[in-house]
Amino acid sequence: MNTMTLYVEKDSPVHRLDPLVKLLYVVASIALTYILPEPLFIAGVLFVTLLLLVIGKVFRNSLPILTLSMFLIFSLVIVQGFFHPDNVTELFSIGPLVFYEEGLYVALVLVLRVLVMIGSFSVLILTTSPDEMVERLIKKGMSPRIGHVILSVLQLIPQMRATTSKITDAQRSRGMETEGSMLTRIKAFFPLMGPVVLNSLNETKERSIALEMRGFGSSTKKTFLNEEKQYPYNKLLAGIIIGIVILGIVWRVMA
Amino acid sequence: MNNNKKSMWSLKLSTAAIVLIPAAIGINYIGKLFASLLRLPLWLDSIGTVLAAMLAGPVIGAAAGVINNLIYGITVSPVSTIYAITSGAIGITVGVMAYKGWIANVKKATIVGLVTGLVAAIISTPLNMIFWGGQTGNIWGDAFYTFLISNDVPQWLASFGDSIVVDVPDKVVTVLISYFIFKGLPKSLTNIYRQDSEIEEL
Amino acid sequence: MSIIEVENLKYRYPDLTDLVLDDLSFSVEKGECLGIVGENTAGKSTLCYALAGLIPHFYKGAYGGQVTVNGLVVREHEIADIVENIGLVFENPFSQMTGAKKTVYEEVAFGLENLGLDRNEMHRRIEQYLKLLDVFSVKDKNPFDLSGGQMQRVAIASVLAMEPDVLILDEPTSQLDPQGSSEVFEVIEQLTQRGMTIILVEHKMEQIAQYADRVLLLHGGKQVALDTPEEIFSRPDLKGFGVTPPVVTNIAKALNVRYPDSELFPVTIKEFKRLEELK
Repeated sequence: MNTMTLYVEKDSPVHRLDPLVKLLYVVASIALTYILPEPLFIAGVLFVTLLLLVIGKVFRNSLPILTLSMFLIFSLVIVQGFFHPDNVTELFSIGPLVFYEEGLYVALVLVLRVLVMIGSFSVLILTTSPDEMVERLIKKGMSPRIGHVILSVLQLIPQMRATTSKITDAQRSRGMETEGSMLTRIKAFFPLMGPVVLNSLNETKERSIALEMRGFGSSTKKTFLNEEKQYPYNKLLAGIIIGIVILGIVWRVMA
Repeated sequence: MNNNKKSMWSLKLSTAAIVLIPAAIGINYIGKLFASLLRLPLWLDSIGTVLAAMLAGPVIGAAAGVINNLIYGITVSPVSTIYAITSGAIGITVGVMAYKGWIANVKKATIVGLVTGLVAAIISTPLNMIFWGGQTGNIWGDAFYTFLISNDVPQWLASFGDSIVVDVPDKVVTVLISYFIFKGLPKSLTNIYRQDSEIEEL
Repeated sequence: MSIIEVENLKYRYPDLTDLVLDDLSFSVEKGECLGIVGENTAGKSTLCYALAGLIPHFYKGAYGGQVTVNGLVVREHEIADIVENIGLVFENPFSQMTGAKKTVYEEVAFGLENLGLDRNEMHRRIEQYLKLLDVFSVKDKNPFDLSGGQMQRVAIASVLAMEPDVLILDEPTSQLDPQGSSEVFEVIEQLTQRGMTIILVEHKMEQIAQYADRVLLLHGGKQVALDTPEEIFSRPDLKGFGVTPPVVTNIAKALNVRYPDSELFPVTIKEFKRLEELK
């Protein structure tokens, strides 16, 4: 049974942190890159983020996530490097294309920021199981029904994928064309999508009946089968993170 | 259909409506899969969100959109989480217009698609400006952005142009596809999401 | 007082014109097993939903008459209040899995968490019903990794763990292979022996004949007859209602093996053999 998440099950100090503290880190680290938008500072935040990935033993797992955004990064360098409206000072040129200092500076800040974003998200996603994350959010007041929805998406989509390949095979064997002109291909979309939607909605109706009959709509206060996980130091860590952000704001204001 | 404004925005979500959200996200996912399988030049990754909005209104549509991007963010690409706001807006737009009777025929549905695409572009532009200097990371969009910028168009306008190119065609087709599917659904499936139905006496 | 009382029940789905349930009146006694038979459009599933409270709360529509379960008038209580009295298991084992739980154990706990039970009571009930349904050995497996029969038994365990007084089974084996089907019927056998009140909708008439104390025959939403299995399956007009009797009854009809001094034919192999020997 393949689940969809990127969560890497390991034991590390980062894995053992409160998911909410990790979430706070994501917000704080990204915020810092805006409060102090100097390449040096952002690089510093990036360094801390990478360190967390290493301590969490998930650095290698973060690289595929990074590659997905490679085009964005590449495009940022090219477009901002060449075409930024403030471009004045020429730095170097490759053939007819000229790279300007202003543009490259902007590109550098943007790229470093994107790396911090991807990195800190990765810290959260790779070291936190969805169940744990949802449980913490519910304890902090999120509706348990929304929590349920989030967790069920992660299991139901792989199931849907399996049903979909059955539908695709069935339609293909009935002679549905999937190659050819654009119009043919657009027309093929419906006999594929239609059954998938119907099947999914039917199952959804049945599942909502089943959930209702198991008290899902009840307004009684829900209890939990599993013991609540304890997180030592989480108040301390949250305090430190918030403190650093405040320091950043102060520095910026004073500069 | 009951046009009581209050019931469209009701936060009292029925079980059926809540369970629709994972299905909507799955449909989004599969739509995207088929689009790439058939090599269509569109994302088609919001069909589920749009259908959910048509079936159960703007609140569920928005929830489906937001949660969709959050899930995509934690399972594939963190960058998607930022566009949760855009997805939510798509859900709200379609939900409100559908509730007001704008999916009565193909012409009206096309307009819904255009409006949705515009809303998506309008919301995405400030996001793109804040996070990636106005770009979108999409080849055609960024190429258009480059073209506009090199012709001294102000950055925010170029960014808006970038988003329009990316969002409008995709959303028009998405809403039309969802419209046809929605019209083809049996009443037994669509009735359970109506928030305005009362129990009649026999 | 009967555990279930149905009085003049009428129902029509929203936006449809015909009544799906047309003036049904009957009662079910505690510990009884009531079989419901009829062709596909007879209204069997709709009746199940009406007993469980899904009609009218989930399906809305047009409703008339009254259904009372354990003294509670279904129309006047939310489903969440009704679920501790009556439980429903239906055809598709897959859609009865919540999808949000990673193990069978947690899956069964789901309903109990919603009821607000304390942990000790949850563990006690989960273990009890996992064992009763013979799925204790797979308690740590992911529900979606189970066979159809196992999944259906987990669904039944999940509902029984909420300790309802009545269990409705709406074609519980239609989507299962023969192995899965017989696993589920073994469970039904056990439950009837323990005195559980059961409502069973089935197309497998042999099973209805085996377990039902009485059978309700529906046609076009109307109540045609409510009687013992022998009475119902011996009727010569069954075919007109889209129902075929158990194979053994057809054979008995052909060979004229019947109960002495009556028009009734046996509905189980055991009874057939007994009557055959009497001849």
